[in-house]
Amino acid sequence: MRRKKGKNSINMEHGKIKDTTQDTTLTIDVLKEKLINIEDAEIIEHQFNQDELVTVLYIRTLVDEERFNESIIAPLNRCTYKTLYACIDNSKVTIITSLEDALNKLFSGSIILYDSTKIQWLSVQLENSLHRAIQTSSTETVIYGAKDSFIENISHNILMIRRRLAIPELKSEKFTVGYLSKTTVVLMYIEGITNPEIITYARKKIKNINFDQFLDSSQIAAFIEDHQYSIFPQFLQTDRPDACAFALGEGKITILVNNTPFALIAPITFFHLFQSPEDYFLRWPIASFLRLVRYVSFILSMILIPAYVALTTHHYQIIPLQILFVILESRSKLPFTPFWEALLMLITLEIIKEASLRMPTKTSQTLGVIGGIVVGQAAVEAGFASKVLIVLMGISAIAFFLVPNYLMTKANVLIQFSLLLLASFMGIFGLMLGAVVALAHLNSLTSLKQPYLAPFAPFYWKDWIDLFIRGPLTWMTTRPNYLKTLQKWRYSSRR
Amino acid sequence: MSVFSLYDQKESPFGGIYVIFLVNRLQMIYFFLIMPTYLVYPYMVWGILALGIVSHLNLLILSKWFSSDFAKKGYLGFVQLFGQGMVRIFACVGVFLILIKISVIMLGYVEVYHQFIFSSVNPNWLILFVFIVIFYITYQGMENTIRFVVIVFFFTFWAIGLFVPFLFPPIAALHDLYPLIPVEWSRDSWKGLLLIWSALSGPEYLILLATWLKPNNKMKRNLAIGNAVTVFEYLFLFIASLFYYSSNFLSLSKFPVPNMLQYLESPVFERVDILLLTLHWLLVIFVIAIFMLVIFRAKGIIMGKWGKNPTLFGLVLSFIVVMVFIVIMNEWFWKSEQNLLLELQIWLGALTYTVVPFLLYVAVRLKERVNK
Repeated sequence: MRRKKGKNSINMEHGKIKDTTQDTTLTIDVLKEKLINIEDAEIIEHQFNQDELVTVLYIRTLVDEERFNESIIAPLNRCTYKTLYACIDNSKVTIITSLEDALNKLFSGSIILYDSTKIQWLSVQLENSLHRAIQTSSTETVIYGAKDSFIENISHNILMIRRRLAIPELKSEKFTVGYLSKTTVVLMYIEGITNPEIITYARKKIKNINFDQFLDSSQIAAFIEDHQYSIFPQFLQTDRPDACAFALGEGKITILVNNTPFALIAPITFFHLFQSPEDYFLRWPIASFLRLVRYVSFILSMILIPAYVALTTHHYQIIPLQILFVILESRSKLPFTPFWEALLMLITLEIIKEASLRMPTKTSQTLGVIGGIVVGQAAVEAGFASKVLIVLMGISAIAFFLVPNYLMTKANVLIQFSLLLLASFMGIFGLMLGAVVALAHLNSLTSLKQPYLAPFAPFYWKDWIDLFIRGPLTWMTTRPNYLKTLQKWRYSSRR
Repeated sequence: MSVFSLYDQKESPFGGIYVIFLVNRLQMIYFFLIMPTYLVYPYMVWGILALGIVSHLNLLILSKWFSSDFAKKGYLGFVQLFGQGMVRIFACVGVFLILIKISVIMLGYVEVYHQFIFSSVNPNWLILFVFIVIFYITYQGMENTIRFVVIVFFFTFWAIGLFVPFLFPPIAALHDLYPLIPVEWSRDSWKGLLLIWSALSGPEYLILLATWLKPNNKMKRNLAIGNAVTVFEYLFLFIASLFYYSSNFLSLSKFPVPNMLQYLESPVFERVDILLLTLHWLLVIFVIAIFMLVIFRAKGIIMGKWGKNPTLFGLVLSFIVVMVFIVIMNEWFWKSEQNLLLELQIWLGALTYTVVPFLLYVAVRLKERVNK
């Protein structure tokens, strides 16, 4: 048995793989040439008799070594040429017909077996099932509810959804995107419930993706979203299989991407960004109250600091006298205008927030303490910021974290800075103009062509039962109207 | 030059609730801020009610046109009714009427805002900033702009509730509402009635949005609901003004409603009026955005370019022209001859609200008779 190493056979030109070997017919020489300069490519040639040569080609790192030894090496050593095919586990054997097919199989963890006597090409699926264990969601934690979350292996992720929706109507269409990464993307939906227009549109969008590599689901989202210049997320990214199953049941689609633990849910509305999986596990009045708190927090996080600047710069008449005294006393020794004071402190806060996210856990705690003391106390004592602003900054910073969607909190920061600028120039008038632009922008957005501000605008009053409040589940008799699902009622038979 | 779609219809037509919101919000702009000064006498309560009923009948006539085939065809429907040449003339007249209307709305509101909140800023700057935002909204197209009415309604409608305390001020007495039956008719009372009628105008412009509205037999009902809500709001504000000022002092205030707002207080905000008047810009911006889209469409009809895709350059140019027009109106007319422009709009508003439904009704009937 001889083992050979490969040499380079491809190069990149103008963003596309240029094949240096022009021959695309499936021959052992062409295939061997493709494996040149690939360190972990292995070629095993096993001679049974004088004319009975079997060649095995595989990528060592992609193949499960133990299974390879059991399924391929052992039969080659133990069996004769005549009994070889009986020795190999037939359940995972497929016939190969083209060079492209052979290469795809080879680089997805199968071994290629070439019988020069019969001139027969076979592949045996033996991919290394390396993946981490299923763990609790780190981004959407809940006290009650399921604890499992997606992992990087797409098959496992599909399995986790299928376990929750064990119906044949749950379809999963497979696509391969990225000519370098060959990323597997799976579009899931429930046939008979999801609006076919949404499925067709999503399918078309995924098929039209033309890029070199996709390492994360957010990159896929960037290619299939309707408004790429918007700061608002048009897909919900979740690592919770129960959230995906719930969305599928509502008539939405789910997109799973291999090697990423985050699935995409669409079409979504702006209001989905304020819904937490826990909303549906808590008692409805409590869930409704918490949801309202989130909306209030969202507004506070954006406008509290700009409003402070607007009021203290342009409209101090609005502030009640006693509060005005407090603000004046607090600002009496500051060298900055309210705008610069707020801007400097907001930038400092953003630096601390970003640093604490990037640092290892233990360091970030220290950073938090130092940041808190520096911002909270030293800045006031040094005369860089007023106590009132620090209090507002604290409320605003905490309010940011109440919005369950991380992408949305990042969008909030940009809105906050924009409003700050407008507030400093034009006071409340500027704030209002900024808010109108934001509302008009939200009003024009779509997620997979479905309106982003639904059920508010377009107005679907029946869907308001799960909008600002989370009504009792028994009242949610219909699926969201804006999705135009094929099956409106959620009851199997109406009582 | 880049071409884009402003008037495409991607979704199904807007349902009845949009008609209610549109009718109500188109009727609740600017005039409600000054109306009590013109009405003054308590018996004008009957005037609001009576003209509310007449307005309802007027909208019934308008709904007849909405239920006709001509309404569904939009521009082509008008061409079928009046002929292309006549439609061009109507478009010219319409552009003039709308220009006057949006000038009065904009300048009137800028004046209120300038007087109550931003007295240090040149009003022309306010016009410029507002127009930039209006441009952004119109750039989203007619469909998105119409849909925006839901946001406008829910963000502004609730403000009426803040006037409830004015019904129960400590010094108010029921006799502030007397005489409810006029003992003598003031010579200027007709002006008050004219203002109410003009204030109720606005829904006639819905004929220009007909292709985006769902044509169904509920149109009659929805127009009526929108009108009824407006009449309720006008009545409520007028009665609150009477209780607060009484007839003797009502005529002395130029802006009675904003003045009333100045006396609203909350534990957090001392001057609620600043917030409310700022919020009301949302409605002003929306209404002008709708009218700007209509003007831009009318420009295409006048120039014989209906059906051709609009260009961004054309839209920008239209905005600049309209903005310059309003700034000129502000400098030459509003500052010196404000009442002239205001009265012109009161007359024109009343005229369009009376003539348009009637004219359409007659034209449809005549056309139907000819076709038979």
